[in-house]
Amino acid sequence: MMSKISYLIVEKSYVIRSGLTQILTSFPETGNIEEIDDIISFSEKFSEKKPDVVIINAKLIEKNPEVIFEIRKKNVALKLVVFVGTRRADDDFPAFDLKISVDEAKNTIIEKLQNLMSEIIPAEKDEISDELSDREKEVVKQIALGKTNKEIGEILFISPHTVITHRKNITRKLGIKTVSGLTAFAVLNNLIKIDEAL
Amino acid sequence: MLITKDLKLAEVILRNYHLIPIVSRFGIQFGFGDKSVAQICEQYNINPVFFLEIVNAFNDKDYLPYEKLKKIPLSQTVNYLLKSHHYYNKVKLPDIENLIGRLEWEGEDADRNKNVLQKFFGRYLKEVKEHTANEEKEIYPYVLELEKNYNSEKPSSTFIENLTKKSIKDYADTHDELNAALLDLKNIIIKYLQPAKNSEVTKQILTETFKLDEDMKDHTKLEDNVIVPVAVMMETELKKRS
Ligand SMILES: [Fe+2]
Ligand SMILES: [Fe+2]
Repeated sequence: MMSKISYLIVEKSYVIRSGLTQILTSFPETGNIEEIDDIISFSEKFSEKKPDVVIINAKLIEKNPEVIFEIRKKNVALKLVVFVGTRRADDDFPAFDLKISVDEAKNTIIEKLQNLMSEIIPAEKDEISDELSDREKEVVKQIALGKTNKEIGEILFISPHTVITHRKNITRKLGIKTVSGLTAFAVLNNLIKIDEAL
Repeated sequence: MLITKDLKLAEVILRNYHLIPIVSRFGIQFGFGDKSVAQICEQYNINPVFFLEIVNAFNDKDYLPYEKLKKIPLSQTVNYLLKSHHYYNKVKLPDIENLIGRLEWEGEDADRNKNVLQKFFGRYLKEVKEHTANEEKEIYPYVLELEKNYNSEKPSSTFIENLTKKSIKDYADTHDELNAALLDLKNIIIKYLQPAKNSEVTKQILTETFKLDEDMKDHTKLEDNVIVPVAVMMETELKKRS
């Protein structure tokens, strides 16, 4: 089953928040929508809810744009939408995937958001396949050889955090969680020879 | 179906054969005629409340008897847990190990396939042995000692003093790995193992693994949801009393 798209709206104005929520709710792909009215609780809410899309008012990030750069760096797949007032309509927001403006017509906003969603869904479909990617196979192999997350990261030139993400996806795809189980899988699928196994 | 003390035990088992190992664990032998649960419990000197809670919990996964079980002496629960350990280590795990030894494949991967399974299962077996041995040597004796002191008019002062260093809370959360290994075994056999020549044996291994998993999950629930909270309560009370 395809998972739905979740949103986090960061916007001071109640009227705007409600308006955005109303538009989003009209899409069948929309799942959970969270609203917050300030930037202070943003990081916390973000890590709690792990939304697919964040819509944030440009004014709220004027003072500390680092928040956005940080989130962007750590979440490549995340879609960031900036919401701007009339005066800011010509400004550029390089960290964002999409800009919508307060004085755009409803249909324009709907169309823009729909385009954005179409970019998310194919990626999701990919994730639903139970085939391991080449990268994931490489991670399984290293686990079976007895390497730690840190060592695997060094061998494959990825961060330990990314290794953990791979491991989670591997377990979800295979249904195998323990190191012994992954080792057995690796041998049965010729990723390693039995005498190499830990 | 709720199993009650007036039901005939034969009827109960005819309705759910999964209760066979549970009933045997209480030492009950077959050939008991038309006796009711209550009569059998009396004959074997089993606390009928405890017996009913255990079989009901096993019979219906949504049945949550913890509140009632918490009121039963821990020594009783520990005794039952010990019998389960014996059943796992001496009966069920060796059974599955033998079945794995009997698997046969055609072709060049035959040895490899068997080695993989034997290695995996061997490791799991060792983990279960270590886990149960630790419970039998450390955890259960501590729990029994704790209960004895809790029930005593004059609890041992050294025991109470040691409560600041040792707590049952250190023991919680040790079951996840063991349960995960059995799920892995199921997935490996169902999804990733080459079909064996004697596929009947594969099916037996799977069935036995599912039964063992079910049994062990009930076992760990007793430990996590009855032994641990009751022991925590006793520790707290004893510290307050001193
Ligand atoms: Fe146990
Ligand atoms: Fe245990």
